[in-house]
Amino acid sequence: MKTTFKTLIIAAAVLVLASFSPIREASAELTAKANHDHITIDSFYHGSEVSVRGICDPDVELVVKITSPEAHQSLKEKGKVGGFLWMNVGTLEIKNTPNLYMLRDTKDVSKLMASEELDKYIIGYPALSRHAELAPVADAATKDKWFGEFIKFKEHSKLFESTDGGFTFGDSGGKHTYYMKFAWPYQAPPGGYLVTVYAIKNGKVMEQATSKVLVEQVGVVKYLANMAKNNGALYGMFSILAALGAGFGVGLVFKKGGGAH
Amino acid sequence: MYLYLPVALTSVNILLPVGLGLGVGLLSGLFGVGGGFLMTPLLIMLGIPSTVAAATDSNQIVAASTSGTYAHWKLGNVDFKMGLYLLVGGFTGGIVGVQLMKFLKAMGNADFVIKMTYILMLGIVGVYMLIESIHSMKKKEAAVSAKPAGKSKFGAFLESLPMQTRFEKSGVTHSLILPIFFGWFVGVLAAIMGVGGGFLMVPVMVYILRMPMHVVVGTSLFQILFTCIEVTFLQSYTNHTVDFTLAVLLLVGSTLGAQVGAVFGRKLKADQLKILLAIIVLVVTTKIIFDVTLEPSMLLGLGGGH
Repeated sequence: MKTTFKTLIIAAAVLVLASFSPIREASAELTAKANHDHITIDSFYHGSEVSVRGICDPDVELVVKITSPEAHQSLKEKGKVGGFLWMNVGTLEIKNTPNLYMLRDTKDVSKLMASEELDKYIIGYPALSRHAELAPVADAATKDKWFGEFIKFKEHSKLFESTDGGFTFGDSGGKHTYYMKFAWPYQAPPGGYLVTVYAIKNGKVMEQATSKVLVEQVGVVKYLANMAKNNGALYGMFSILAALGAGFGVGLVFKKGGGAH
Repeated sequence: MYLYLPVALTSVNILLPVGLGLGVGLLSGLFGVGGGFLMTPLLIMLGIPSTVAAATDSNQIVAASTSGTYAHWKLGNVDFKMGLYLLVGGFTGGIVGVQLMKFLKAMGNADFVIKMTYILMLGIVGVYMLIESIHSMKKKEAAVSAKPAGKSKFGAFLESLPMQTRFEKSGVTHSLILPIFFGWFVGVLAAIMGVGGGFLMVPVMVYILRMPMHVVVGTSLFQILFTCIEVTFLQSYTNHTVDFTLAVLLLVGSTLGAQVGAVFGRKLKADQLKILLAIIVLVVTTKIIFDVTLEPSMLLGLGGGH
């Protein structure tokens, strides 16, 4: 009797917990596969493309988000000095924000979801703003102003984007498929990136699926980047000698060409 | 065709840095300036981070000034003795300037000092060179003797200084204190402004040391070569900000440009050269004045550089 009662309490607890679970099971599975998930940076690299495809329920809205790990970033603030001169007046420290944040949704989900739900999954710039820590900022209005400037700077650097549309839907083997692609910016530094696809229904995230994109330097690019970082003295001497050699070389070529002097 | 830059972490169309190098190298060969005050802002406009732009520019100036010094040495335009004394002063001035910048950064007003130094120095040098050159050209047109009438008080003071030495190549006699002091002064300013200081050194050699213009150009390039070797090494060793790939693209253009500039410079008269340099310096000054007085499109930016 005692055992049965204990089992009932555990089952009830599981049910209660399940009802509060952030992600509820949908009727169809959501999958995400990033094609071109290993981007190699060689000498002729000028950006790439990352496409995301998978299966989803036909009656959900989708959000695809690509982010780099959250980091601490420092940027120079420009302000007026003496009433008319624009120059660097301080440093803005930004915490809890990724260096890269790309978001694409089938429909403007910020109008379909409550801000609490958007904040929970950090979907959209307003949610990212509430998640980020900025210093020094005196009040909420100042934070909003500088976060707006941060977004402007990041979008200008091609590292942030947030747009609607661009999805293609189809059917494959009786399943509803989706496909979309991002132009991958060459400004995105090497590292690991997380692709997350959210299925939204009735203002809630019903499912999420993830995939990864790895951006890696290879060949001469990797060799030079490593040398510059880990062996600065040798790299410096190599750079100087190469420059001296090039300078003398061109001087000699001009001499051979004759008539120049 | 695009090339990826491993340290700048960006990709550029190779024609842009090669073309930039060619243009700035031409100025280098013509006027004896490294061109840092032009090249660094232009590289930033191409999307190169400012710290990488400044450090890589030093690397490419090593190539351009080697090419230019070599060309001018063959033409007999390098006063090695004067160059060495200027270097001694410039080197110690650079150390003082770097310490001064550290102090100003700690005080929080480094950017203001940098911008003001740029505007004042470029403005004064540009206006003075322009007026002096036009005046000198008019004098010659009027067939008035080019010889200065009598000695100024400043000239007499310079002659009264101890350790007077003859600089054969330049055909002038000065106290050793003079090139060391002015080398030091330019070194301090160059460290504050983050440039080689050629555009400051050239007027010092022309107007204070009274060296002939063609020797000024060769000697300035010789001095810049050593300054930029030092800066390239220090930037690579301490900040890891030299992008060798970018430097190669720039130096392909700048070494060729420096040779063409050296040849072309011989065909221009000294006053014409000075007027051209003055105009370029004044255009850059005007651009900086606009930059600091007009509201920027973005209120946040990467640190470093100027």
